[in-house]
Amino acid sequence: MTLYLPIAEISMNIFLVIGMGAIVGFLSGMFGVGGGFLMTPLLIFVGVPPAVAVATESNEITAASVSGALAHWRRQGIDVKMGVVLIVGGAVGSFFGAQVFTYLRSLGQVDLMISLAYVLFLGLVGGLMFWESMRAIIRQYNGYVPPKTSREDRHKAWIHTLPFKMRFKKSRLYISALLPLAIGMLVGVLAAIMGVGGGFVMVPAMIYILGMPTNVVIGTSLFQIIFVTALTTIFHSVNTQTVDIFMAILLLFGAVVGAQMGARIGLKLQGEQLRALLALLVLLVCIKMGIGLVMEPDERFSVSAVIATEGAH
Amino acid sequence: MYRFVLSLLVALVVLPSFAVQALVTDLSNTRIEIRYSFDGAQLILFGAVGSSTINPVTSEYDIVIVVRGPNAPTVVRRKDNVGGIWINNENLVFPSAPGYYAVAASRPLDEIASATVYEANGIGFSNLPLLTKTARGLVAPDAVFKEALFRLRSGDGLYRQEKDTVTKLAEGLFKTDIHLPANVPVGKFNVETFLFQKGSLKSRDRINLTVDKEGFERAAYDFAHGYPFLYGLTAVFVAIGAGWLAGVLGKK
Repeated sequence: MTLYLPIAEISMNIFLVIGMGAIVGFLSGMFGVGGGFLMTPLLIFVGVPPAVAVATESNEITAASVSGALAHWRRQGIDVKMGVVLIVGGAVGSFFGAQVFTYLRSLGQVDLMISLAYVLFLGLVGGLMFWESMRAIIRQYNGYVPPKTSREDRHKAWIHTLPFKMRFKKSRLYISALLPLAIGMLVGVLAAIMGVGGGFVMVPAMIYILGMPTNVVIGTSLFQIIFVTALTTIFHSVNTQTVDIFMAILLLFGAVVGAQMGARIGLKLQGEQLRALLALLVLLVCIKMGIGLVMEPDERFSVSAVIATEGAH
Repeated sequence: MYRFVLSLLVALVVLPSFAVQALVTDLSNTRIEIRYSFDGAQLILFGAVGSSTINPVTSEYDIVIVVRGPNAPTVVRRKDNVGGIWINNENLVFPSAPGYYAVAASRPLDEIASATVYEANGIGFSNLPLLTKTARGLVAPDAVFKEALFRLRSGDGLYRQEKDTVTKLAEGLFKTDIHLPANVPVGKFNVETFLFQKGSLKSRDRINLTVDKEGFERAAYDFAHGYPFLYGLTAVFVAIGAGWLAGVLGKK
């Protein structure tokens, strides 16, 4: 059964869209990640224009993050103050990301930027995760237990020299507001150009750079993602009119169902194995995108409508 | 269908008995509405060639039908290997390329008339006046890019040439199918029918066709493009509502 999507201006099989949502939802439920980094490439892969894929996925991530954040809110796993600082940074980043996105789209280079961003960030994060989880698995096999470092000791010395210190009670931290601002900003840029929530960058940054306690990390990151992807959705709507609400709702429908099943499977697997699998998945998407960049394409030409740049009348 | 047959009958009766063949055509539908279930459309074009005792239609005639969609600025880009990665490098802008272009004929085009006849009447993709914008003004396009445009659009089902045939049903009656794919652009189309005899153009007839989004699809598109900020805000609230609903239902 096909459905004509009036904003994306394409006809898609409704079961394909829901199915993709379900598969990505399953994986994200299993690994406890947002899944934007899987969904956006998958949408592009089945023929959705990259700009539509990125903008629409932002909209879907808002929805998915609301339901995730609700659960963390109920058990008080959100540091609202930290979240607000991250959102302020994210808003600035998302704004500039969306501007760059719009400009490169008019030049016909947005696909290149999306691919490069995926290869770079997924390669980096996937590589680190894989290395870290393999080390943990090997250590566990050898029976080695690393000595515990206290949370405060994880902070590097330079972090305490930064100005504009702020107290974050819930995270039991007294650190410079510049750090979460910068992290939020980077995540905002990624949200706008990659169609992701950015949890894969924000969560490690919160743990290793900010030194936040793990019980508030996920909730706070989801809290930030709600607002930043909401802003990204609005920026893309205004700049490029590429947000397709209908596609987003269908994807969400599939994702909600898939995530329920994925979460159950995830509980049965060990943490290290799960992380290693996730790292492989991240690297796989990275390699797929990378191959697209370096392999000579079958068709070197592409055709598209001329996109009027703003102000050109 | 009734209107169809009637108009054809009227045409056959009314057509004057000139030596030059007269031509009347009609479409099964002159307005295509794109709605949620739109997956392309099939149209039927019927036509009648006027007959007379002096010049009966049983003498050989040929029909060529050209369907043209709305023109739009179109860019063709070529990927080149720059520093090891394939990126869009050179591009060519066609300020007005048809979004849809189809040619159907009763016989292979080269058997019907000569290339100069087609050129004079602008029939066939190679005879489209596709100029490109450069610093020196409008010039004839690089053949490679023009071919690429045709190849890519043909692949999408938007350009069709030497694919559809015009079938002769009976003496002086013919029909052809017009295939509009799901990704057809919206706007004004025109369907032009050319009647050839012994290699020269005898008559032509033209019908307008409109393809447009309708109802909810039209409203959603207009909302997204006319009020983009409000549309974005709506998208966000819909997402928050849906996410909240999913969260509440998921808890149970």
